[in-house]
Amino acid sequence: MAALDHPNLIAALDAGRSSTHQGFTFVVGEGEEELLSWDRLRAEAMNRAAHLRALGLRTGDRLAIVMPDGRDFVPTFLGATWAGIIPVPLPPPLSLGKLDSYLGSLAAVMNKAEPAYLATTAKIEDVLGSAASRVPSLQGIVTAEDLRAEAPAAASREPVDPHADDIAFLQFTSGSTATPRGVEVTHGSLRANAWAIMRDGLQADSATDSGVSWLPLYHDMGLIGFVLSPVFHKVGVTFIPALSFVRNATIWLDTLHRTRGTISFAPNFAYALAARRARPEQVAKWDLSRVRVLGCGAEPINPGTLRGFAEKFSACGLRPEALVPSYGLAEATLAVSFDALDEPLSTDVIDRDAYERGKRAVSVPRAGLEVNDAVEFVSCGRAFPDHEVGTFDTAGSRLSDRHVGELWVRGPSVARGYYKDPEASQETFGGGWLRTGDLGYLVDGRIHVTGRSKDLIIVNGRNYDPQCIEWLADDAPGVRAGSTAAFSVPGTAGEELVVIVESRTARPEALQETIKQRVNEQLQLVVSEVVIAPPGSLPKTSSGKVQRAKARQQYLDSMGSLLPAE
Amino acid sequence: MSNVDVIGLFKQAALEVHGRELGTLDAATEISTLGLDSVAVMEMTGCLEEKLQIRIPDEELAEVETLGQLDTLIRRVIAGKEAP
Repeated sequence: MAALDHPNLIAALDAGRSSTHQGFTFVVGEGEEELLSWDRLRAEAMNRAAHLRALGLRTGDRLAIVMPDGRDFVPTFLGATWAGIIPVPLPPPLSLGKLDSYLGSLAAVMNKAEPAYLATTAKIEDVLGSAASRVPSLQGIVTAEDLRAEAPAAASREPVDPHADDIAFLQFTSGSTATPRGVEVTHGSLRANAWAIMRDGLQADSATDSGVSWLPLYHDMGLIGFVLSPVFHKVGVTFIPALSFVRNATIWLDTLHRTRGTISFAPNFAYALAARRARPEQVAKWDLSRVRVLGCGAEPINPGTLRGFAEKFSACGLRPEALVPSYGLAEATLAVSFDALDEPLSTDVIDRDAYERGKRAVSVPRAGLEVNDAVEFVSCGRAFPDHEVGTFDTAGSRLSDRHVGELWVRGPSVARGYYKDPEASQETFGGGWLRTGDLGYLVDGRIHVTGRSKDLIIVNGRNYDPQCIEWLADDAPGVRAGSTAAFSVPGTAGEELVVIVESRTARPEALQETIKQRVNEQLQLVVSEVVIAPPGSLPKTSSGKVQRAKARQQYLDSMGSLLPAE
Repeated sequence: MSNVDVIGLFKQAALEVHGRELGTLDAATEISTLGLDSVAVMEMTGCLEEKLQIRIPDEELAEVETLGQLDTLIRRVIAGKEAP
């Protein structure tokens, strides 16, 4: 089927009518899978739309969706969309540990979105009960089992016809209880981004391409990249449950081999995990020569990790140019740029001193990396056609090539704003550009992301609000209140978390241990280093607020000075 | 399988998957205090499941906080599997 430029997601889904041989395949158990053809997907979405309407949900109402299984999640999400109901995808309880903090953040996010209903599965309904009871807007819970049954005949199955500026769904970006923010993805921004991803970024061909994804569906890369964009372009995808991947990362490459998949994406950490876990007999068996694009995004990209991966799996016929770094963020719907296909990993080696002190990216020979005089960043390619990326200094003046500043984005993929948060929306989306909060520089239009200028820590592909980590550290005995900074720095394989606290404690080791324990218990995050600094040493604004980015820079500078002198 | 040593297997998984020596653990040990991130814990769970040839339902895993609770859950899954 040729890719048509459908006016919106609903029209794209509707166009799948009578296409019964291709669609989404869900791996549901050990060696079991189920194909949901485009035709079947449309029919199931219509049935679920009718169910939701029969429950009393109307156009513009929100539906929270907590469904770990793609087989339930995908038709429920599309069914809500079909009826003009706004889906709010949310993470399921993920792993062993503290359920309380998960339920707390789930309730906080739901209270921001104010959903009329929560759609989940019978199995986890009980687990979610205590969070649901804290959300006054909820009129009820509907389970996947209910939604699979035939909907009442009287309920309408007619699709809505949305405007480009209507909200298609809300994407919550961090698991923070402090300031949950839902990005308003509109039908227009979704269509623009799906088009840019499939046509410009991937040059996808529905006749020859097929995707494989283990990415969580409540996350933008899994949802837009592998569910919604493929619905627009009718590219078949095989879905592996995210928890199956983290249990055993080799299932990802094994599925690419088995299904002869050509396209997949993952955050940096997954490349390290898969390379570490693949056994020699698997490497000997796998044929990855058909893989066209293995995209990397959603967290800072470590060039060494990608090179190690490419090297290890070259034995499987994986072409080095298949690895494609990308740049994007939920506020731009998903993707902003992909590096050029059919080119090997392109990186830029720059002088460390000029970068750290002068915010300039001065190209130097690779040899500088050996003696730590240089740093290396991957190229994430150029902004998609009709989109623009610029770098700006803190005063808002545009910078020229090879000057590090904040990356700003404009174009049709930029989302509308944050849901019910005019202040934050104005700050981030106001003035004609999306201020990404990411730092980077351009070289002839190619984007190099160097870090984050604000409020986001990304570890294992998940976003964390530094504020939450700082609060936990603040509460530790002996810490000077309001004098903590949490941020991430590049580690050997991925990002590492550093916490700086001000304290006069006589027992620094005990305090370090307490903070590590607290953060680990509450957020299941590992703190690599806790720095105990004397009171007054953290940089602060005139109003007494800790300057996180500056503290991070000072930390990195002092690390440099600890290295052996030349 | 009733004499399966879940705590011993858990320590072994930490060593195999992450090269980490976990020290003294008992049934009351909370998994979230071991300095492991959520991906690491799930990798270890996958390793345990492989050794025991079982699959623990995700939603039951989410309610486990201590090693004792993990032990109870694993015994129940094994018993369920062995039942005719």
